[in-house]
Amino acid sequence: MSLNIRLVVNGTRHRAKIEPALSLLDFLRDTLGYKGVKICCNTGECGACTILFDGKPVNSCVVLAADAAGAELVTVEGLAEGGRLHPVQQAFIDTGAVQCGYCTPGFIISVKALLDRTRNPTAEEIEEAVSGNICRCTGYTKIVDAIQIAARQLQGPTGLTSKARS
Amino acid sequence: MDYFEPKTLREAVSLLARYGEKAKVIAGGTDVLVDMKFKEEPLCLVNIKRIPGMSYIREEKGSLRIGALTPIREIETSPLVREKLPLLWESAHQFASLQIRNTATIGGNVCRASPSGETLAPLLVLEASAIARFSKGEKKLPFTELFLGPGKTLLGAKGLLREIEVPLPSKESRGTYLKHAVRGAMDIAMVGVAVLVTPDGGGKKARDVRIGLGAVAPTPIRAKRAEKALRGKTMARALVEEAARIAASESSPISDQRSSAEYRRWIVETLTRRGLEQSWKAVTGKEVDG
Amino acid sequence: MAKAEYSVLGTSIPRLGGVERVTGAGIFGVDLMLQDALSGGILRSQYAHAKIVSIDTSEAKSIPGVRAVVTAADAPDVRYGRTTIDRYMLAKNRVRYMGDPVAAVAADSPAIVKQALKKIKVVYEPLPVVLDPEEAMKPSAPALHDDMPLPKNLPADAKVKNVCSYTVVHMGDPDKAMAEADLVVDEVYETKMIHPQYLEPRMAAARLEQNGRLTVWANAQAPFAVRTDVAKLLALPLSRVRVLSTDIGGGFGGKASGITSGAAIEPICALLALAAKRTVMIVLDKAEETISTTIRSGAKLYIKTGVKKDGTIVARTGKVVYDAGAYSGFGAMAGARCTNMLGGWYLTPNVHIDGYVVYTNKQVCGPVRGPGGPQAAFAVESHMDSIAAKLGMDPAEFRLKNMPEAGDRIVGVPKLRDVSLGETIRIAKEKIGWGKVKLKKNQGIGIATGSWIESAGPGGGAMVKVNEDGSVTVHIGKIDMGTIPGFGIPLIVAEELGVPVSDVMVVNVDTDASPWDAGTVGSRGIIVSGTATRLAAIDARNQLFRLAANQLEASPDDLEIKDKQIRVKGTPSKSVPLATVATAAHTAIGEVIGRGYCDNKAMEAEEKAHGSSQPFTAHACIVEVDPDTGNVKILRYVAVHDIGFPIHPAAVEGQIEGAAAMSIGQALCEQVVFDKNGRTLNPSFVDYLMPTINMMPRIETTLVHGYPGSGPYGAKGAGEIGCVPVLAAIANAIYNAIGVRVTKLPLSPENVMRAIREQKKPAS
Repeated sequence: MSLNIRLVVNGTRHRAKIEPALSLLDFLRDTLGYKGVKICCNTGECGACTILFDGKPVNSCVVLAADAAGAELVTVEGLAEGGRLHPVQQAFIDTGAVQCGYCTPGFIISVKALLDRTRNPTAEEIEEAVSGNICRCTGYTKIVDAIQIAARQLQGPTGLTSKARS
Repeated sequence: MDYFEPKTLREAVSLLARYGEKAKVIAGGTDVLVDMKFKEEPLCLVNIKRIPGMSYIREEKGSLRIGALTPIREIETSPLVREKLPLLWESAHQFASLQIRNTATIGGNVCRASPSGETLAPLLVLEASAIARFSKGEKKLPFTELFLGPGKTLLGAKGLLREIEVPLPSKESRGTYLKHAVRGAMDIAMVGVAVLVTPDGGGKKARDVRIGLGAVAPTPIRAKRAEKALRGKTMARALVEEAARIAASESSPISDQRSSAEYRRWIVETLTRRGLEQSWKAVTGKEVDG
Repeated sequence: MAKAEYSVLGTSIPRLGGVERVTGAGIFGVDLMLQDALSGGILRSQYAHAKIVSIDTSEAKSIPGVRAVVTAADAPDVRYGRTTIDRYMLAKNRVRYMGDPVAAVAADSPAIVKQALKKIKVVYEPLPVVLDPEEAMKPSAPALHDDMPLPKNLPADAKVKNVCSYTVVHMGDPDKAMAEADLVVDEVYETKMIHPQYLEPRMAAARLEQNGRLTVWANAQAPFAVRTDVAKLLALPLSRVRVLSTDIGGGFGGKASGITSGAAIEPICALLALAAKRTVMIVLDKAEETISTTIRSGAKLYIKTGVKKDGTIVARTGKVVYDAGAYSGFGAMAGARCTNMLGGWYLTPNVHIDGYVVYTNKQVCGPVRGPGGPQAAFAVESHMDSIAAKLGMDPAEFRLKNMPEAGDRIVGVPKLRDVSLGETIRIAKEKIGWGKVKLKKNQGIGIATGSWIESAGPGGGAMVKVNEDGSVTVHIGKIDMGTIPGFGIPLIVAEELGVPVSDVMVVNVDTDASPWDAGTVGSRGIIVSGTATRLAAIDARNQLFRLAANQLEASPDDLEIKDKQIRVKGTPSKSVPLATVATAAHTAIGEVIGRGYCDNKAMEAEEKAHGSSQPFTAHACIVEVDPDTGNVKILRYVAVHDIGFPIHPAAVEGQIEGAAAMSIGQALCEQVVFDKNGRTLNPSFVDYLMPTINMMPRIETTLVHGYPGSGPYGAKGAGEIGCVPVLAAIANAIYNAIGVRVTKLPLSPENVMRAIREQKKPAS
């Protein structure tokens, strides 16, 4: 028995017929082709599949695709604007926080969500935002650097917290 | 697999009445979807997230009423919960990852009835009640009676959790939730201890003490003998240590891939002692004497 | 900033392929979308040790949508192995661990594959299971490989079983020296199995082409080894097999099938493709990976040292019992390395160490990041602190007392060319505040050192093609899993050819087109492919100069390339665009293709003559222990490394930080747990605990300069050594914090608690 769902991904409207047991991860990757949502543990423990669901970071592997009907989703593929990388994406490249790059999309989404919530995150808030994202390559040190640089970038040239964009 | 998205509680409950054990209710999905992928797909999946009005946090007549579909993250960010039920707030704050907290619901955590469920020992100590809808009407099930075994509650196959009612502890009470883990919030609790203390007017004796233990028995439990050892007594170091020992003896942990039963007992003792000391200090401003 | 003599070397350029990774491009093996591909899946043994009595695939085959079901009966009777040829790609007659592949299915969808796997009926006759390698060595143990002879070099009187390899290290007269020592310390250490847990699942895809060739896609670290194994196991001519590598989401030695000969799924996938006559793709899931693919072995390490009163080491004896797992895999090589390293890297004149690599009914040893090193160093460096404590000496001073110097011999290394070890210790002490920082109760500082020989072995080549627009395409045999193709290689080409890094492409390996390479393992990347690339770039440059010389009316020796112009040195106005010369090549020589290779023999000869220029390291950390729960928190972590010249400093730091983090995981929270039947109890990330950011300290890396290595521009391999000293650094800090020495990994809260309580027990 299949369901018809409609949703928006990175600003693009999609319509699809799905099996009810399908996870949002499999739906995004295999049905719609968004390979930027990565598969790893498939049990909600590693954050590689993190996407924004109505602005909130979730592990797409433990969300039903059916639950995304009517939702607005953002994957890492939707962050660059007109060929310009989002400051979080750029910061990850610049600091060497991208080694193999497999955990990177999940981290970038979690970090973007963090900086949408607060432009001046404390060390504790940074830790909370990405405790659910595992990296095996970097040991996290350069990832923390990237997050701090991205935060400063988004704060703007005066260094003061600029008004958060909606 | 049959699949339903009921739009009302009545519709959901009648589906459960019809399918019984063959149906599985899915809320957030962080547990159920993993089971579906790696164990068995149920014959019938009832997705209750389209039922409106199931996600709320309201203060009403000395209680906080929390809708079953309220995400853990909302509980964590609710100023009301932080202020009035800090014990529950602490468990929400140590609940897995942010991604999981955005998806998992308090109702899902309760109905999963895992002995290590993060919110369970706190809710047990807060003497919450589960408001459950059956085909014949509603029942208020106290948490002290709700859990029957791992994965089993009084809800059975046909009850649907609608709301959790948490009486607000007295203003003179303070509690704490301590989770023992190797890494932190990301781990499933190896041991969870929730403590609530209420000193008497003189600030030396404990008028009431409640100790809830998670992950060390087939259900979350109250360490009743330990509570009895403290209730009405003058709080003193030796007594607190004794109560902690009693609490450890009331637990019946298993040895598994996470740790041995013996180690869990040591931790019950340590965290009970710390929970009592911290809560006592938080409310009286003083260390436990002696 | 680049070093004065270089224009780009020594700068941390943004990684090649960085944009693809931060925008989520589908470049990894698991992202592959092949037209008309079937899904494949593998049935794994339900017993850790059993005879296979029968396999009935008839019901599975009859399920609609199932296109092929294969077992060992469908494959040639060929085994594979690195040092011992002891393994079938699909188990034949015997299964030896619960991840052993028994059958495989190709079907229209993953759901049908899952259904079909359930319907394959395997009748097993269970055999006794042995999980502990010391138990497996006993004459009473079940024999895991009846037809594998014991190693020929075992002592004649050795009464052992299930030993697949034996190494002995002997120097001087250890018995005499030990008897004459002022103090003898005798200890036992133990490490547990961990899994490399790369994040990207292992996959393979195979397609039979119209022309009869087999194309195999693999997210494998050694594509050429995959080609060899697929051809061998399917009895195909090598020339019929083509392997295309993808970008790889982490490997750490665990995706090195072929090299390790463990858990190779590519041949299974190819067999399915041939049987179904369709393209097949297999993707493993996390739990399946943990139970079946190659791991870092556990080991038991017996270590005994004799010292003089003044701290001079006079003798070291010991024994290593290295757990190979169900098949030999990489066990012999890792066990040999571990045995040698148990001798330490200090001046140690008299040594005897026996190393046994033993079969057990568990996952197979792979070349996981510094294989054998962390285990040996856990014992050696913890033991050094134990000795220092008994001597009443500062642990750092004790190490410095036994420091080798240039020209000296250490265990396993006949001659050292230069030694940075002392300097790394001094810097580590300074950075961590040794003897200075104020510590609170239950806090402690620990220090530990290490070394790692970039593995000797086959070399590899490079080709540098200069395209007509002046851009450069580089072919090497190494893959990108966060390794040199993204970092050091483009820098080398940019430096030697004077082109911007953005004009350099390093393409994925295609065994039809790329130069042969042993694989991206063993800290060999920069040494082998870096050297080869440098020479290839210089060769290309020389060809360009010869082509340009006439036009510029100069000798090729007087030319240089700068800013995409080939010009006369000293007369920059006499120039011609690089693109013009590259295009001119079409009518002259066809194309400028520079060729280079790493001369392994020359490197060996150089080392023999002048000594090994291996890297050294010292790590130090401050921990805080909760004495009532056993929880260990690392407050600060310092890693000091001599990596020769860092061609891409951020990449080198990244390798060190990542390696240290992996060992911090092994120290604090990781291990594969079994029940008594050999079933893995924690296959998923729910209970296989990966280190998360909240438990990871900031890893403060310092690179030491002035000790050039055998790589290009004096580089040294950086990929593995960071793993080596970590376990002991933390254990030593715990000892200094609470006075308890934990000798068994992991240093989990429970193990620390038990050690605390054990210590408190009154002596009987």
